[in-house]
Amino acid sequence: MKPRLNVIWNENYCKRCILCVEVCPESVLSLERDEIVEKPGCIRCYQCERYCPDVAIEVMDG
Amino acid sequence: MIDRSYKELLKLGRFPHTWCPGCGIGAVLKNVAMAMKELGWNNQNTSVVSGIGCSGRMAGYMNLDAVHTPHGRALTAAEAIKTVRPDLNVVVLSGDGDLGAIGGNHLLHTSRRNPDITVFCNDNEIYGLTGGQAGPTTPKGTKTVTSPRGEHYQPLRLNRILTTQAPYFYARTTVYHLNHFKTCIREALLWKGFSFVDIISDCIELNGRRLGFKTAHQMFKWFEERFHIAEGVRDHLKDDELGIAKKEVEAEVKVEVEVEQIPEVQIEGLKLFALEELKQFDGTEGRPIYIGYKGKVYDISASPLFQGEKRMRCHIAGKDLTRDIEIAPHGEELLFKFPVVGRLKE
Ligand SMILES: Cc1ncc(C[n+]2csc(CCOP(=O)(O)OP(=O)(O)O)c2C)c(N)n1
Ligand code: SF4
Ligand code: SF4
Ligand code: SF4
Repeated sequence: MKPRLNVIWNENYCKRCILCVEVCPESVLSLERDEIVEKPGCIRCYQCERYCPDVAIEVMDG
Repeated sequence: MIDRSYKELLKLGRFPHTWCPGCGIGAVLKNVAMAMKELGWNNQNTSVVSGIGCSGRMAGYMNLDAVHTPHGRALTAAEAIKTVRPDLNVVVLSGDGDLGAIGGNHLLHTSRRNPDITVFCNDNEIYGLTGGQAGPTTPKGTKTVTSPRGEHYQPLRLNRILTTQAPYFYARTTVYHLNHFKTCIREALLWKGFSFVDIISDCIELNGRRLGFKTAHQMFKWFEERFHIAEGVRDHLKDDELGIAKKEVEAEVKVEVEVEQIPEVQIEGLKLFALEELKQFDGTEGRPIYIGYKGKVYDISASPLFQGEKRMRCHIAGKDLTRDIEIAPHGEELLFKFPVVGRLKE
């Protein structure tokens, strides 16, 4: 489990399909050196979490 | 906020699951688990059944009583479970190949019998597990391993086949139209009777790449081009429409059957027949047809059986039928319609 700025990424479940990257309306996620990373600007819309088919990314609540 | 308690219904210990990166089956599993959790379905009240295929692996990832059947037989096992345990919620999770090709016969007949089960069909329009061959729902013209110049045949139109006789519930949605997808899942689970959700899903590895898509999301955008959400309540869906087509069973019109009062016939003054005499009235030579019953003599000449060209020979004429009619159901009522013409000598 790797916490980013607003999301927590599970590197063991993740299959690097980049669906989260492509559905993010703010384009803050990216796949770099085999890791999902996040740059500032997340609006916590939960789209990444809703679409991930592998239960591998969660948005921090609150 | 997302309610994450649905994870209790998944065997997370076996994750990451077996499916390829971006495969739509993961989305089907997850969203079905979410809807079940919301409805309070759990391992005490719910069974899931899968057939064979990549999609057929779904039941095995759920923390519920799960059955993995031979190829095409998911519906048979599900219907059997529902028959012996009507208190259980029974859900089928399988693929378009499993349900529509080898299991197509069961699909026709299980839907016809309308057991209260819900089917989620991961419809990726291909045989995924075996390597990307054309299946029953592969659109005409699609290039696959077995149709390198484009699929030659028309696909099976599940939307038409499953909406021919009420009651029915058929929904078509996609793994991309997420809110619509969730609504379809929930409504199908709540439907009393056979419900089928046709979920257009991506097999990115063995179908999508050949079609030129690099990611699952690119396939989603293609789904968005091919399908649109139909507005309103429908009883049918066109081939490019997403929505729910449902119809309750047509209410049976109940006819109040009035019990006819049989008038007491005064027979005191009527002619007394001996059995020997009665025998003459057999319909021959223009005579009427009489029969005896419980001490009365009835004239049954007006019966439709003995009229016109094809009239029957009357074997019962001139006989006392008290015993015969008593053992034949409805015999009496039929007889009471005919006029009483006399009394029978004991
Ligand atoms: C009796 C039998 N015939 C054929 C097969 C080979 N087979 C395994 S999966 C499959 C097709 C599955 O297609 P589908 O239901 O669409 O699932 P997908 O893999 O696409 O999710 C076939 C033909 C088999 N396992 N058993
Ligand atoms: S959608 Fe999920 S599995 Fe795919 S890359 Fe993002 S976190 Fe990983
Ligand atoms: S919550 Fe929304 S904005 Fe934030 S990373 Fe996920 S998809 Fe992007
Ligand atoms: S082969 Fe296709 S259907 Fe099977 S897991 Fe991979 S992407 Fe999914």
